[in-house]
Amino acid sequence: MEAAPAAGVRVEGVSKRFQHRVKGDLWAVREVSLAVHPGELLTLLGPSGCGKTTTLRMIAGFEEPDAGRIWIGDRDVTGLMANRRDIGFVFQNYALFPHLTVFDNVAYGLRIRGVEGGELARRVGEVLGMVGLARYERQQPHQLSGGEQQRVALARAIVIRPRVLLFDEPLSNLDARLRVQMRDEIRRLQKGLAITTVYVTHDQEEAMAVSDRIAVMSAGEVVQEGTAEDLYHRPASEFVAQFIGRVNLVAGRVVDAAGATVTVDAAGVRLRAFHTSPLRAGEAVRLAIRPEAIALAPDDPGAEGEVVGTIVTRTFLGEKVDYTVRAGAQSFLVTRYNPGPGAVLEEGQRVRLGLSSDAVQILPLEG
Amino acid sequence: MTAADLTVTRPAGPRASGASRDPALRVTVAVLWALLALFVLYPLVSLLARVAMDGGRLSPGAALGVLADPNQLRALGNSLLLAALVGVAGTVLGFLFALTASRAGFGRGWLALLDAVTLLPLISPPFTTAIAMIFSFGPRGLITYQLLGLKGVTVYGLGSTFFSETLTYFPIAYLTLRPVLAAIDANVEDMALSLGASRLQVFRSVTLPLAIPGLANAFLLLFAASLADFATPLILAGNSFPVLPTQAYLQITGLFDLRGGAILSFALLVPAFAVFLLQRYWVSRRYYVTVTGKAGARTAVKTVAPWLRPLLLALCLAVTAVIAYFYALLFYASVVVALGANHAWTWRHYHVIFTEGAKAIRDTLVIAGLSMPLGGLYGVVLGYLIARKRFVGRQAMEVVSMLNYALPGTIVGIAYLIAFNDPPLALTGGALIIVACYVFRYSPTGIRATVAQLQQIDPALEEASLGLGASTTVTFRRVTLPLITPAFFAGLGVVFIRSMTAISATIFLVSINWTLITVRILENMTELSLGPAAAFSVLVVAIVYVVIAAIGRLLRVLRAPGAVSLGGILGG
Repeated sequence: MEAAPAAGVRVEGVSKRFQHRVKGDLWAVREVSLAVHPGELLTLLGPSGCGKTTTLRMIAGFEEPDAGRIWIGDRDVTGLMANRRDIGFVFQNYALFPHLTVFDNVAYGLRIRGVEGGELARRVGEVLGMVGLARYERQQPHQLSGGEQQRVALARAIVIRPRVLLFDEPLSNLDARLRVQMRDEIRRLQKGLAITTVYVTHDQEEAMAVSDRIAVMSAGEVVQEGTAEDLYHRPASEFVAQFIGRVNLVAGRVVDAAGATVTVDAAGVRLRAFHTSPLRAGEAVRLAIRPEAIALAPDDPGAEGEVVGTIVTRTFLGEKVDYTVRAGAQSFLVTRYNPGPGAVLEEGQRVRLGLSSDAVQILPLEG
Repeated sequence: MTAADLTVTRPAGPRASGASRDPALRVTVAVLWALLALFVLYPLVSLLARVAMDGGRLSPGAALGVLADPNQLRALGNSLLLAALVGVAGTVLGFLFALTASRAGFGRGWLALLDAVTLLPLISPPFTTAIAMIFSFGPRGLITYQLLGLKGVTVYGLGSTFFSETLTYFPIAYLTLRPVLAAIDANVEDMALSLGASRLQVFRSVTLPLAIPGLANAFLLLFAASLADFATPLILAGNSFPVLPTQAYLQITGLFDLRGGAILSFALLVPAFAVFLLQRYWVSRRYYVTVTGKAGARTAVKTVAPWLRPLLLALCLAVTAVIAYFYALLFYASVVVALGANHAWTWRHYHVIFTEGAKAIRDTLVIAGLSMPLGGLYGVVLGYLIARKRFVGRQAMEVVSMLNYALPGTIVGIAYLIAFNDPPLALTGGALIIVACYVFRYSPTGIRATVAQLQQIDPALEEASLGLGASTTVTFRRVTLPLITPAFFAGLGVVFIRSMTAISATIFLVSINWTLITVRILENMTELSLGPAAAFSVLVVAIVYVVIAAIGRLLRVLRAPGAVSLGGILGG
């Protein structure tokens, strides 16, 4: 199958209001701007109700924005109906045509485009082969498993070689193991065909696995955009820090901002972090510390680490151990990976925490 | 009145308890079989015997002779033609209403208006529209004579009968098709749009094919309703357009030829039974199940183009206006001295029905009042057994319990007349035979409501109660019974409404001692005392409306699920 002509997607200042039965007039999406580069996969990530699906449906043409413009390639599609936008859409519930066979489901969009006969059979067969359903042509949708239905939905969306592929939580109806398998397959197909793709999910791991870039949304707005690494290592807000991975959030006050690093006092615990913005002594700050970035060692003479604490709880999870460590008035979640036999520390044990300045992020103060 | 769209009940699962260790169940099953044998099977067998036997000898030839009569053949042809026309027109109209309600995006106010008006034909005697047609277009009709000054206009014939029956029965199609259209996942239509299909293509290739089983079902319901209707043709068809149920009625009441009537009604059995089988074994298996359980995002439906929406609404409003006009005319006719001649205001007709007609009103209320609790109880018990218990002959019991409902009323009425005319079962002339007819003819809706509701309730609920140490009896009383109470009241409501409005079966069963309002209305119409007929009709609609509003409220208080709404049940 030849690649679709790569076209970018631009969303400019798009807003959408909804009437809520209880809460009244609400912004479902507010002043959202996005740029998806040709061939790129951008994920809209956020909790339910954050406006990510509404944004996607506006790109598809299923909803009309109240303000703003949407471009696919160099065409302004804001006023166009979905059937004029040349898109492929994969629904959360697959939306397979229940009265059509697998073949006819996949052939639907091609027949609309006037493809018939041998060419039709060839293209449907080819795409069914790509998703691993070569022998399923005569099956009815209800005879398929969830994963197979998902593949049919995918095949139906890509067979028309759309300029843009749109996914709305495509994996949320599958079990955990299948989810991992399918997301890898989606990524492989998308990369192979180089189709510009917008992907919506609430699952941060899924987002990190499939995306070139991620736009995190909250309350109808895009709060941060970047690669998975950007979002993980340099979250722009508490919300993003908490949504991408796990994090210890610590309130503190700047003690010394003169040197190369900032020294912060967090309830009696002294922490150092790199500058991200100009700070003065006495200023209040919030710190984000990833549990897996904290070093942990028994509080033996000569042990490294500047913070002393006591293990309160310990959860053994096989490939890792989660500890809660109390240090002064502060409580830290600490994760250690690949704990060998005998390396697991006990509850009640005194420990030292190693918080290098790499591990500590100073978050911009909010509101 | 109609052959039901009989939903195939799910066979009781492995969890359903058996009869072997439950003596109460065995007794209940035995009692129910005895009742079904007496009031369903025995009358039908009696009818068959009367048709096939002549003077103690088997002679089916005589029956064929009656049917070979060209006049009767013509009546059969007319019946089928009328039923097919009403089926097609009513289904189209019902589909347009359902499309407007579920796809055109109008506010609740408009839909409430459509619903309120289309409810009227469902809760009135089935020939109410026919009466209004006479008032409007008859020799002294408000429109033909008063407004247009036409004389010698004849309203009688196929056209008016077809028009009247379509208006009367299309709400059944509307109520049947509305949930069908609402159940079509709008995401599927969105999907087709995103694949490049135009609105018309989406409608043709997705919406319509998915609605086909519903359309077939609506057609069959209307076909059966029209096939069984004898009152509308009696009033409107005239001599030039004889139909079979009317012929059977006239054969018995006019010529006192019970056997001839039986043979004619029997001819209806074949198409009626064909409809029953088609619904049960063809339509019900073709409903497309939603492929995934989890619903997608709610979406506005876009398949109806914006310019088409006001047109659809205007069409529906025009139809509702016609219905509203007919019912307003009926009311008007009840409060003027003589419609078409003297339009002075009077309460005279109401005075007549509350004095001379008082007995019919009292009888009807007594019979409806007796049938209602009996029918409600019978429906719930039978529905519970079918949905939750496992015993020999369970499916046979379900089918038998549906028979009197599925057969045209004429057949049931004549069968009862034949079966219960002689000792030791000489019930004719009494109230019991009418009550029995209503209970076994109109409870199947309650049975279906109970089954539908129980199927939505996970047996795990009952198992949880047992697991907490409650006995079977306590579990039934404290868990199951409250859960099926809405179905009980819904079934009860339908039995009451039908007891107030039905005529096709019971017209053969009334007597000097026990008569019914609907029968009096028909007598008034044939005696041309139109005022009292109108007043009676208004009274019936008023009583039924009050009762249905009360039960609707009760169902809302009980938070009945959609399957058990009164509207859903009246839909067939």
